[in-house]
Amino acid sequence: MDLLAHLRYFRVVAEEQHFGRAALRLRLAQPSLSQRIQRLEREFGVRLFDRGRGGAALTPAGQLVLTQSEAVLDAADRLHSVVGRLRDGEAGTLRAAVPAYLGGATVAALLTLFRERSPGGELDLRELTTAEQTAELAAGTLDAGIVRHPCLASGLSFGPMLHQPLGVLLRDGDALAAEAEVDLRALSGRELAMPPRTNSPALHDETLTACARHGFTPTAIRTVEGLDFTRALIMAEADLIALIPAPPPEPGTAWRPLTSQPVTWRTSTAWRTGHDGPAVRIFTEAADIALRTHAHMYAAAAERPRAARPETEFAL
Amino acid sequence: MRGNGSPAGAAARRAAARITAAFADAGVTGQLHALDVDTGTSVSVTATQLAPTSSLHKVCLLAALYREAAAGRLDRTRQVDIPAAGRTPGLSGIAVMRDAVRLSLRDLATLAIAVSDNAAADVLWREVGIDTVNRAMAELGLPDTVAVHDMTAIRNALLAQPDLTDPAALSGISVLDPSRTNRSTPRQMAELFAAIWRDEVCAGDLAAELRSILGLQAWSHRLASGFPFDDVRVSGKTATLPTVRHEAGVIEYPDGGRYAVAVFTRAASTAAILPAADAVIGTAARIAVDALRTA
Repeated sequence: MDLLAHLRYFRVVAEEQHFGRAALRLRLAQPSLSQRIQRLEREFGVRLFDRGRGGAALTPAGQLVLTQSEAVLDAADRLHSVVGRLRDGEAGTLRAAVPAYLGGATVAALLTLFRERSPGGELDLRELTTAEQTAELAAGTLDAGIVRHPCLASGLSFGPMLHQPLGVLLRDGDALAAEAEVDLRALSGRELAMPPRTNSPALHDETLTACARHGFTPTAIRTVEGLDFTRALIMAEADLIALIPAPPPEPGTAWRPLTSQPVTWRTSTAWRTGHDGPAVRIFTEAADIALRTHAHMYAAAAERPRAARPETEFAL
Repeated sequence: MRGNGSPAGAAARRAAARITAAFADAGVTGQLHALDVDTGTSVSVTATQLAPTSSLHKVCLLAALYREAAAGRLDRTRQVDIPAAGRTPGLSGIAVMRDAVRLSLRDLATLAIAVSDNAAADVLWREVGIDTVNRAMAELGLPDTVAVHDMTAIRNALLAQPDLTDPAALSGISVLDPSRTNRSTPRQMAELFAAIWRDEVCAGDLAAELRSILGLQAWSHRLASGFPFDDVRVSGKTATLPTVRHEAGVIEYPDGGRYAVAVFTRAASTAAILPAADAVIGTAARIAVDALRTA
């Protein structure tokens, strides 16, 4: 027996206090309605109505069932409505992720902007590497993310591409910290602290290539994960530096922008292709604003390679 | 750098030390000369010691062709009939083609540079002449850059040696001895490229055509590997003999900086395929160019 449906028939009969009028409202034949109410009475083992010529009056047991069934039917309605909004992406929890080095202010702005745009919606936000995000997006355990490029793109769609400029993290008192900004070439002879290459191999290589393009090839790469540990090592070792987006200031180290922003991390939102419901779109909008406003990101014009070499096989 | 104040001289010495260390790490002994085409500032590692040039001399051949063309003594568009028989054997270009072809002098030069086509080069050696090439180099102020034979002669010398994997036997091969084969120094090869880029070999459209040919080399495992940047132009020509790997060329940055570089190496290993020895040519060149760009 479909209890919820039978409770709805019962409620209409109780409201009308008359089988004929209730059957009319429910667009059912009166005998059919009577049978359904009798089935409900058998289910509960009590009589719900006193049936007379004048109509159908609730028994005391019927009165009790009516009161309780209101609560059951309301709860069922709420369940349907919430699941429906979740299905349409308007509410519920969006499982999202951000990479390291976005900054606390950016993440806070992202949460606030998302909530403003999605009343009742929740953001379940984790910090994951780009490699972890692309794997989870593909597996369906993550709905949306903010990834660093280049990353594996198959099966994924991306929001607007933004550039996050890197600066140099130096020990307090380093001669270069006296300048307002640092020429990348002035870092020659330094060791570079970087997260493990396996976190984002393509980004790791692209960052080093951009450094080389602008005249800085570190004498060694030191694998260091996390801002705190990076700061600690830089404070302890004179020649070690890191290239990271602007971090929150903290005594012991100083961060300086690089002259003419030669090295950036390309960053965008990402989601599984075809799974861009309203919540994912709201996330992308909120992320675009948060990244531009709080993480100093900017869009750059597309460029064709200006010095095509024979190995590229097409003259463009 | 050379000729500048002592801080720059110290930077050049630091660069030279890093270059020498890179050569050692790759299992080669190396020579290098790099100069800023516009200022003449340079970085050197045993840059005036003679070495066999082998296919690098195709650049001298190309430069002489364009210098003769500029002087009106040669028509670089003149067509040459090249029958199928009698071509210098090789591994690329018309050296591997099976049928007769008809090509202009400048297209032969293009094949000789782009894919190191030995058959095309030898047609040019006959058409331009070894004496003309040597005279052109001398008049450009490169008197140590001397050709004595064509690609066929070099190949025959290698064919005469039964074992190209025996280091002792290799030391006696004539084409590895700069006094008995085509030769130059890293400094003079870099200066030849600088002269081409400064319009000193020829000028105007002719010079632009000459430079564009030098940008067509198909392989990128040596000099270009040190500059994996989409907006940086690498022009160059390799040379390869047993244990010998060279490349000379020009690196152009979009900010207008241009640097002529020649890197000559001799490997300890006699293996024909030696990726580390190829790659160190790019590594050494970039250390030098970075030093010149910081100067």
